Amino acid sequence: MKRKVKAACVVALSAVLALGACSSGSETATEPTTEEEQTQSTEPADPYGSYEEPMTISIGMQVDPTDKDLPAGDTPLDNQYTRQIEEALNIKVEHAFTASAANMRQKISLAIASNDLPDAMVVNAVELRQMVAAGQLADLTQVYERYASPEIKDIIDKTDGAALKSVTFDGKMYAIPGVQADADGIHIMWIRQDWLDKLGLEPPKSMEELATVARAFVEEDPDGNGSADTIGISGPQSGDGKMYANFLESKNNLYGFDAIFSAYGAFPGYWLDDGSGKPVYGSTLPETKEALSGLRDLYAQGLIDPEMAVREASDEPIINGKSGIFFAPWWMGYGPLTNAVKNDPEADWQAYALPLDADGAFRPHAATPSTEFVVVRKDYANPEVPMKMLNNLFKNEMENTFDPSKGGPGFYPLRVVFAPSDEIEFTNKAIKEVLAGTKTKEDYVNDRPYKLLPSDLENITKIKQEPYDDWSIGTWTPDADWGAWTRAYSIMVGGNPIVDTEMERINSLIYEQTPLMESRWVNLKKMEDEMFLKIVMGVAPVESFDQFVEDWKRQGGEQITNEVAEAIQQ
Amino acid sequence: MRIKSFDKHYYLMLLPGYLWLIVFSIVPMFGIAIAFQYFNPGKGIFHSEWAGLEHFRYMFVLKDTREVFFNTLIIAVLKIIAHLVVPLVFALMLNELRKLVVKRWIQTVVYLPHFLSWVILGGIILDLFSYNGPVNQLGAMFGFKPTLFFAQAELFPWLVVGSDVWKEFGFNTIIYLAALTGINPALYEAAGMDGAGRWKSLWHITLPGIRTTAVLLAVLSLGNVLNAGFDQIFNLYNPLVYSTGDIIDTWVYRTGLLNLQYELATAVGLLKSLIGFILISVSYFLAYRLINYRIF
Repeated sequence: MKRKVKAACVVALSAVLALGACSSGSETATEPTTEEEQTQSTEPADPYGSYEEPMTISIGMQVDPTDKDLPAGDTPLDNQYTRQIEEALNIKVEHAFTASAANMRQKISLAIASNDLPDAMVVNAVELRQMVAAGQLADLTQVYERYASPEIKDIIDKTDGAALKSVTFDGKMYAIPGVQADADGIHIMWIRQDWLDKLGLEPPKSMEELATVARAFVEEDPDGNGSADTIGISGPQSGDGKMYANFLESKNNLYGFDAIFSAYGAFPGYWLDDGSGKPVYGSTLPETKEALSGLRDLYAQGLIDPEMAVREASDEPIINGKSGIFFAPWWMGYGPLTNAVKNDPEADWQAYALPLDADGAFRPHAATPSTEFVVVRKDYANPEVPMKMLNNLFKNEMENTFDPSKGGPGFYPLRVVFAPSDEIEFTNKAIKEVLAGTKTKEDYVNDRPYKLLPSDLENITKIKQEPYDDWSIGTWTPDADWGAWTRAYSIMVGGNPIVDTEMERINSLIYEQTPLMESRWVNLKKMEDEMFLKIVMGVAPVESFDQFVEDWKRQGGEQITNEVAEAIQQ
Repeated sequence: MRIKSFDKHYYLMLLPGYLWLIVFSIVPMFGIAIAFQYFNPGKGIFHSEWAGLEHFRYMFVLKDTREVFFNTLIIAVLKIIAHLVVPLVFALMLNELRKLVVKRWIQTVVYLPHFLSWVILGGIILDLFSYNGPVNQLGAMFGFKPTLFFAQAELFPWLVVGSDVWKEFGFNTIIYLAALTGINPALYEAAGMDGAGRWKSLWHITLPGIRTTAVLLAVLSLGNVLNAGFDQIFNLYNPLVYSTGDIIDTWVYRTGLLNLQYELATAVGLLKSLIGFILISVSYFLAYRLINYRIF
């Protein structure tokens, strides 16, 4: 018996994937219900209207099990957000499943594979594509037309069609795209200004200067504890860490080397124009080889975290005051910096649009506005319910109904971000105007889509002291209101380089997968990640890059390039 | 055949085991069909289009498949050998201890890591071998330059096998110790009379006495030859050591669950099952031939 079980186990292991698939029956033919017929009508409906009969919707939701923000008695199913939704819309939210951020992708993947879907959930671009191909999603074209609130439509329209394009397949809209601020895709250099000052150095403008500064950070004991335990430049962490954002995950890459690559004129992971209108994959270009070789030198000299790619949490040395430089987007107050400053109030993290390329320009790669999508299960009777929940979210964020200290915005069911593309830049400038006294809060009352602007302007003087043209950490008083500081420090210190720097943004030709990528991209990407890491960490010679390019083309890269060429023709 | 009422209880006691088997092992086996389909989750396995052997063809073209297959084999074989030899030697050494209290204490201590999960142990081991970790600090005292152990592909299998043996050898030690107590003490006394020293009695009495146990453990572990330990490797590896550390299970997990390539992942999993099935049959046959151990 024991061995028999074991034998079956071995077989079962392989079949684990199929566990859920067995339960998936055929649900292809659906009778149009009365509700569906209603949505066929094109008259605009009230985006905020409440239902007469109570509605229920079951969703798949990401819940951080370590989050202690909720007041006692509240749960992810019963909190200020769910209560407000029930009160305002008469919609009752249920959980089909919850998962932590680390397990969410896997959980969604299982739900798709087993065709056991919640009524609605938030997915990424690859999952969206998969679900459309599997015919699992409701057509939301009419729902969007009739129910989306004017503010949300306005934000989506302002992406010049990019947001709608990402959810439109064969002329039908299969998801509601979130829209994130452009600034999320610009990766800048965060550096310990206090260390620079102590060692009498300037922020590094070129790659040579970057090496000099990093060497000083490593060798000259900037934290003054007498031992050589500091890191020059932080690197990506093991697991989900990436050396650079790519066309599928084009924003919010923390602790990568995006700005270093672009300083070499290299845009790995992006689809670029080769100059003759043909697409070419950035990772296969000579500039990328050069950048890898440059990074390899930095690593060999010990200027990049020697534990990069193996370290489990790259934010740790930043929080503990052991790292001097890292690359990331503007919002690092929400990242490691709050804890870093709590740890050491003198830790003066400043951000710069550096290093510059050979022409003295900062040319970052830019992101697609939409990377998260609200999808609705095909047979769900009321496909407009999620849209109403999103309208309600945006309206109440504008009206400042929710108190983030009673549970962060992540507890709002089906939350995706709708931000005007220039939210960070606009808010940054507005705060400066108000601080300088050239404008007042009242001048901005009509800028409603910038939903957090009123509270931003309200709070700034609590946490920022004079002089108002100096943003070093000593001029802030975070203890007065850590929540407000987190946001304001991100927008001002992280936003300044974006506002103040003329930059040419490099876009990828496409931000979606092509058909062949569905089966081949994973393996090509694995080859790329492995090879590039090995080159940088000195395990493989720089010349192996040429072999990689050849392998990449042979193993499907060439055909995929042709597909990309077709895709951009359309 | 009439079932004696006496037997009924036994069949009843089998029931939960069989239920488990059916629900978790037999039913999911239908999912193997995915390997032969263009699997469309919306249509399910009953309505997806058939792809024939296309995914298998692609599987054999992929460099990855060969790589993970050999990695699995190498790590698993090393583990099997180490799991046989280390506990045996340790049990023999422990057996020579005179003080019963010390023996019991050691036995318990080496058994303890068996109860910790790899999520916890993985973190501890990564820290131990980190750039500024104790191992490198120790090395620095002897003048070695610090190295990043878990970034070196050629070291990874050894670290995996080593840490797995450290975690699990206490378990097999107990089995050997039990076998050792089964040896008739009169044999040792007689050997002592005849002038045999410790080595002689070890060679002529102890080892033959636990031969059956050793062979049994060896043969049964053959069935595990393709299970190189998902939990452990998943918690220890990183892309730098994929070339030597990525095993079938971790690869199937990443391909199927993280990257939504259900068909390819199932195909590779199926291949693993086939080979596992053959090996289990062989090990059963060997167990029967060598030590007359059988179930049917």
